[in-house]
Amino acid sequence: MIEWVEFQNFKALRKATLPLSRFTLIVGANGSGKSTALKAVWSLHHHDQLNWHKLRTAGIRSVDKVLLRAKWREEGNDFIVAVQWRHDEVSRRSVDPLDSNRLRNPDPAQSALSRARIFSLDADAVARPVHLQPQMELQRSGADLAGVLDRLRDQNPERFEALNQELMRWIPEFDRILFETPNQGQRSIALRTREGRHSIPASDLSQGTLIALALLTIAYLPEPPSIVCLEEPDHGLHPRLLREVRDALYRLAYPEGAHEKREPVQVIATTHNPYFLDLFREHPEEIVIAEKAGLEAKFSRLSDRADLEEILGDAPLSEVWYSGVLGGVPAGT
Amino acid sequence: MKVAYFAESPADQAALTIFTEAILGAKTELVSHHGLRHRGWPTVRTVLRAVLLELHYHTDAEGFVLVVDSNGSPPHLPGHEEPLKAERKCRLCQLRQIAEEVRRQVRPRPVGIPLKVALGLAVPTIEAWLLCGEVPHVTEAAWINGLKEGQMPYTKASLKQKLYGTSHPSLSIETDAMKAAASRLSQNLSNIEQLFSYGFGALLKSLRSW
Repeated sequence: MIEWVEFQNFKALRKATLPLSRFTLIVGANGSGKSTALKAVWSLHHHDQLNWHKLRTAGIRSVDKVLLRAKWREEGNDFIVAVQWRHDEVSRRSVDPLDSNRLRNPDPAQSALSRARIFSLDADAVARPVHLQPQMELQRSGADLAGVLDRLRDQNPERFEALNQELMRWIPEFDRILFETPNQGQRSIALRTREGRHSIPASDLSQGTLIALALLTIAYLPEPPSIVCLEEPDHGLHPRLLREVRDALYRLAYPEGAHEKREPVQVIATTHNPYFLDLFREHPEEIVIAEKAGLEAKFSRLSDRADLEEILGDAPLSEVWYSGVLGGVPAGT
Repeated sequence: MKVAYFAESPADQAALTIFTEAILGAKTELVSHHGLRHRGWPTVRTVLRAVLLELHYHTDAEGFVLVVDSNGSPPHLPGHEEPLKAERKCRLCQLRQIAEEVRRQVRPRPVGIPLKVALGLAVPTIEAWLLCGEVPHVTEAAWINGLKEGQMPYTKASLKQKLYGTSHPSLSIETDAMKAAASRLSQNLSNIEQLFSYGFGALLKSLRSW
């Protein structure tokens, strides 16, 4: 698991440290570095797909480097992963044991970082038919969902059934995921209505329904990414469904709490939704406030505030956040 | 009997339904509605008036059941029951006051029968009720004593961990655990009546008066 990420000259994050847990929810104003933080986690492995010009903080000199450092924590196998980008040079990455006197195995860290994925789900992409391939993976936008579900049905029918059951609980008007073949080699999905058993093609489903289906699919993958970064997973969903969204994300991060027998996934999500934030009131250690100050941004873990309980009292967390007392609100509003 | 439950989650509602039916000694019929939900204290206090008015004028509900968690607020004590002795910070007293104000203000119901109200206060959370008898030191008296001495005998998190077996239970795990515990306690209500005599006792007394 990544315990923290340090940023230097990385877009809006001129000098900042992001503390992370098994599950982390980042809240903050627009432009406060939330999405940048997710991109940073992804670029710890995919650094060669980026360059200094794309990443640098505005105004830095050409001799200044862009730097990311992250601590990988694993029982007796801690590492520091560092990536640097210099002007007109290829990026460089190092993976060094925290205690250089002891023999360590960097493979688990390398493997986990290589399987980090960012999702910023888009209903249109989720609904799109796919060309079937031997290996299908859900794309950042949620594209290729039909192919991923098709594989899940064929290779893990029990999981596919469980997903259907859960979908029914989330959106009771539907009772089953169906597959269609628009053209040879293609797949698209549809949902069957509980009443009348009509097949509603994905293109006719609501945005919220499609986002919910994509989220559920990620939660029920037999081998999910080792690190899942989600941009606003609550987007387009009714407030009463947010508890289910939280459960789906917790299913990934705390599989034992859902009777899942697999390794925990590190989940990092962002939100602007006060109702969603309130669902984490009992776990302030999972909430990180992104604070924008001028052109820079900083992160702080909510539970690190010593007076938190005194400040919150009986008030909903969201209301206190909205008030500005906790930070993470747009300036001048 | 048609009853409306105002709960924070389907899991809470399932447990409350089991308790209510055990106390009434009869099955209840859920009022046909979109399912009333609140988001905990203090929002439940803010919307209670609207919910009661809706039920009063636009449904045929015969009863209304609401239980809130006390968390760190003062528990309900026998002294609060005396005339003009309601405690300002007691959540049960606050809810009762709102319900009473609504009762006094409303016009007669279209369905003719009055809406009966039963309110309870889980000290400190409903998980404490549901662990009653399973964990000997989880009692209303232990919590009240802890508040007095400034040293709490357990935390909300530890109660959840004990009941659900995880710090991050899914809704379905919560629902299963709550239903199982409520069913166990409903076999013999005297235990919970004795160990949570104020907050559960208030609910029990109201329901028995229906």
